[in-house]
Order: sequence, then structure tokens, then C-alpha cells
Amino acid sequence: MEELIISTENFKKIVKELQEKEFRVIGIPEGENKYQEITVEKELSLNSEAAPAGSSFKEYFFPKSEPIFFYKQNNGSVDLFDPIEDKKGIVVIGAKPCDASAMPIISKVFNWDYKDDLFNKRYDSSLIIGMSCHYKDDYCFCVSTKGSPENTKGSDVFLTTLENNYFKVATITPKGEAFVKEYGKHFEKDEKKHNPVERKEAIPEHFNYEKVKTWLDNNFENKFWDTAGEMCLGCAQCAFVCPTCHCFDLVDEQCGSCEGRRAKNWDACQFSLFTKHASGHNPRDNQEKRYRQRISHKFKYYMDKFDDILCTGCGRCARGCPVSLDILQVVEEINAFAEKS
Amino acid sequence: MNLYTPELVEIKDIIEETPDIRTLKLQFKDPERMKNFEFKAGQFAEYSVFGEGECTFCIASSPTRPEYLECSFKYAGKVTNAMTKLNIGDTMGLRGPYGNSFPIEQMKGKNVVFIAGGIGLAPVRCIIWNVLDLRDQFKDITIIYGARTVGDLVYKNELEDWKQMSGVKTVVTVDPGGETQDWKGEVGFVPTIVEKVAPASKDTVAIICGPPIMIKYTFPVLEKLGFEEENVITTLENRMKCGLGKCGRCNIGSVYVCKDGPVFSYKELKDLPQEY
Repeated sequence: MEELIISTENFKKIVKELQEKEFRVIGIPEGENKYQEITVEKELSLNSEAAPAGSSFKEYFFPKSEPIFFYKQNNGSVDLFDPIEDKKGIVVIGAKPCDASAMPIISKVFNWDYKDDLFNKRYDSSLIIGMSCHYKDDYCFCVSTKGSPENTKGSDVFLTTLENNYFKVATITPKGEAFVKEYGKHFEKDEKKHNPVERKEAIPEHFNYEKVKTWLDNNFENKFWDTAGEMCLGCAQCAFVCPTCHCFDLVDEQCGSCEGRRAKNWDACQFSLFTKHASGHNPRDNQEKRYRQRISHKFKYYMDKFDDILCTGCGRCARGCPVSLDILQVVEEINAFAEKS
Repeated sequence: MNLYTPELVEIKDIIEETPDIRTLKLQFKDPERMKNFEFKAGQFAEYSVFGEGECTFCIASSPTRPEYLECSFKYAGKVTNAMTKLNIGDTMGLRGPYGNSFPIEQMKGKNVVFIAGGIGLAPVRCIIWNVLDLRDQFKDITIIYGARTVGDLVYKNELEDWKQMSGVKTVVTVDPGGETQDWKGEVGFVPTIVEKVAPASKDTVAIICGPPIMIKYTFPVLEKLGFEEENVITTLENRMKCGLGKCGRCNIGSVYVCKDGPVFSYKELKDLPQEY
């Protein structure tokens, strides 16, 4: 396929057409720091220099809380009702590589063996348009977790920033190809040969994830864990802003005396109740063990099962941590142990 | 319908086993489902009380007796508390069967020793009846069961049935101080009684389920008796929500108890981190 480009202005036209076709267009509006639905009042911003949004866009596929079913009870008998589906397709525009690449990672969990249709119905009908990232701060480490600011994983279409408010358009999946074809009139050939916008500073490789994994394979019991998570408050903001965390709870929410819903709600391994048995026994009965679980799940357990890392290096968990517990520093320390051993 | 939505079952009978343990006999509301529901001994299900939530138990009835699905539970938390208030004819939800199962095919042609403590007899009862219903495919069968007190013993009628059966050695014990004046069984903790009964370990599979403390002290006894690690089988009961390998809480290292378990051999457990 010949190389196509698109201007920011034309992209906004596509957004308008998508909205008219009743798609939910998700992106980051001008002057905001949160993925949200793009509306007439909230115009899309495509700024590759922006910092990662406060949280990822996973909530549009795996909502913070969603009904599984509704129930009505009457004298011991029960009727169940399916929730009403939002049939609007989702189009995410301007996704950072560290957010877009998390979607296939979450999808593996929701699709190994048993299939979670609540997630799949939204994900399968969606389109994700990723955008190269020109941001860097001390928390970014995508290059250490198999990613990069130009990583196209998880994107159907990928935009690379060019000069003069243009983007180079790459189609990554058949879905992306169909999209570019459908909205072809807004794309153009790069006749003027726009130059790409150069990154000011490269993101270094901070650790070797394979070495980290090997250390974790052999150090479930290690005094390092006694202090690694010592500061952790167990507030789980890290899990909630994380693009790859996917743990959830199933909770009945009674409404009145005989009806209600069962909901699938976000949950997190940093909460003490997460693993507590009804008997009172708790396999992860202190924050140090829960922090070991968090690090191990991301850099070992998920890799054992799905051959990938449960972290995209977005750095949000550290940027927002109330006690400045920095996952990068922790994993760098593990990397240093691994190099010594 | 999505994978987290339960099917509806009706409570057909309730047996009050002890002051805090109940057995429910359940049938699917849909008679066709009752006919085509298949499971293996050792698998578990998620049981719902609508408005309260779900809880996880092994199926306590045997696949060889498909008329009812049975679960036995002890009052411990919110959902089990609600389950103690249900009546015959009430509707519950059920999802399952989930997880792996006891290796019954590998047990055929061997001796089997069942060891259970307290409510831990529920999952073991499933495989006991499964084995007894295929009696001629197994060699000697020993059942060792203990509870804190005589009043805490579950499946009392079935314990009597097993005692009467030829070719089945059934030993029932209560913890010291838990006996009544007319108690005719053993007095002593389960590990002590296992040592006393000393079942032959050659060509024998031991299935053990009960409180963690009982399992912890019974493993060394079985080792001493010469049992091979891969022939000592137990079930784990980490907290679960989905039962489907997704919600993220029942893992022990890279292993999901809901998918890779709940049945594990002592050999497999030794390779896992001590986090259960």
C-alpha cells in the first residue's frame, strides 16, 4: 500500500463522521489529561508530546463497574435479565503506544480457555488508532518492557507525527486497512515529503526483563521483599491507572428488597481483603506479600502463562503513587541483583 | 447470558449436618440441564444467593449419583450465612463445574486411603462414593475421618454405611475432649490416627482434605509410612470469585487454583511457593 498521510484538520473531519455514524469516539480532548468521549464541545487533541493521560482507556472495554445480569426475586423464585448492551462501536484515537499495547495483553486474560464476552463484544468491534509518542519523563520505561514510543502493538492504524500538523498513516491490521479505505478521501499521498518530527530525547533501556524474570523465578523467598513494598499503603491507585491490570470482583448490589444486579467491579491485589478467606485465613496477609504479588504477576507469572509482560512501562503507577513507590526503581534493583548473580 | 451468569437451581432438600454445617440437595430448574450436566469428582462450582453473592465449594455428591447436585457448607461468611436461611423450594444460582478433578483413572487398580477433617469430608465424599460405586475397580479402601467433637461430624448416616461395608475400613475420630460418654470411635487428632491405622503405602493413593493445620501434620506421617509424593492428593481452596482464571485472586505463583487446581498432588504443592 502506498504511504498515506493525514492532516490534523482532516482527522477531525473523520471524527465528526464517526460521531454521525454513532460510534463512540474516545480520545483526549484539548487541554485535558483523560481519555473520554469526544463530543462537539470537547474537541480531539492529537498531541504526541503530551504526558500519558491520568489513566489508560481500558475502562471503555473493561469498565470500572458493569452489570453481569439483573435479578428479580419473588417468594423464593428468581428471574435473571441480561444487561442492555451498548451496541455503539468504540474508536480510540491518538492512543499512546503504552496504552494501545496493553489491550492485547488484557485480551489474553479474558480469552484463554473461557471467553469473556462482556470484554470481547466491545473489543472485537472496536478500532484503535495509535500515535507515536514524543513524551519522556523519569517514569517512562516502555523500551524496557518490549515496547517503544513507536510500538504499533494493539493499534489497528498507527500515526507518526510529521511536520506541519501532519501524520504518516500506517495500517497495522485488516480492520485498520478497511478503516483507511472507508475514509480514504481524507487521506492523501505524501507528495511534499513531510519530515517526521524528531524525538528530543530517547527513552533508555532501564532493565533487561528476561534477567528480571530469571531473578523472580528463583527469589520468591528473599529478604528484598521485606522492604520492597514496605511503603505501600495498599490504596491500589497503581492498579486502577494501570493499562494492564485486570483483576475484578463479582458483587451483588441489592436495590430494594427483591431486586438488584450482580456487577463485575475493578479490584486489586494490593487490597488486604482480595485473598482473605471467609475463615479469616489470608495467604497474602501483609503488604509486603501483596507487593511481591504485584511485581511477580507483572514480570513473572503473566510471562509464564502468556509469554508477555504485564506492564507496558507507562509509568503511571509511579507518577500517581501517594508515597512515591516507583516500580521502575524496584525493578531496576531486581535487575541489579540479577546482574550480580 | 455471559460466562459469569449462573444457571438456576432449586433446593430440593436440606440436611442439617451439625449446628453450623448444612447440605443442600439441588436440581437445575431446567430438567434437560439436569440430564446433561456432567462433572468429575473434585470439581467445584460457584453457588449464588441473589442479593448476597457467590461462594465456592467442591461438588459434594458423586457423578455416579446424578439425581441431585449436593453441596455442604459451613457458616463462615456473608453468602454462607444467607444460605443457612434458605428453605426447600428456594432458587439459587450455580456456575460450573470448574477446575480439574481427582485422578480417578490413575487410582484404578490401587488401594485408596481417604483422609478428611471437619467439612473437608465434603469434597472427599464425592470421590468416596465415586470409588465405592465402581468398587471392583479398586483394591483396599480405607476412610479416616475426624472432627473436633462428635457433634461436628458430618454425613453421620453415611459414616455408618461405610463402616458396614465389607472391604472398606472406616475409622472415625474426634479431637481429645470432643468425645461423648457413649463415643465408640477413636479419640485423637487425624495425623495421630493416620499413624495408628498405618495404611499400607505400596500401590496406594491417599486423598486428603481438611483444615490446613491437619494437612500440614498429616503429610509427614504419610511420608513416614512410605507414601510417594505424587500419590498423596489434596484440594486447595484459595479465595475465588470468577472460577475461570480471570479475576486474579486465587493464584499461587503462576498457578491458578481455579484452573490448574483445585486438586494438587503433594509433589506439585512442594514446587509451589508457600502462599496458600
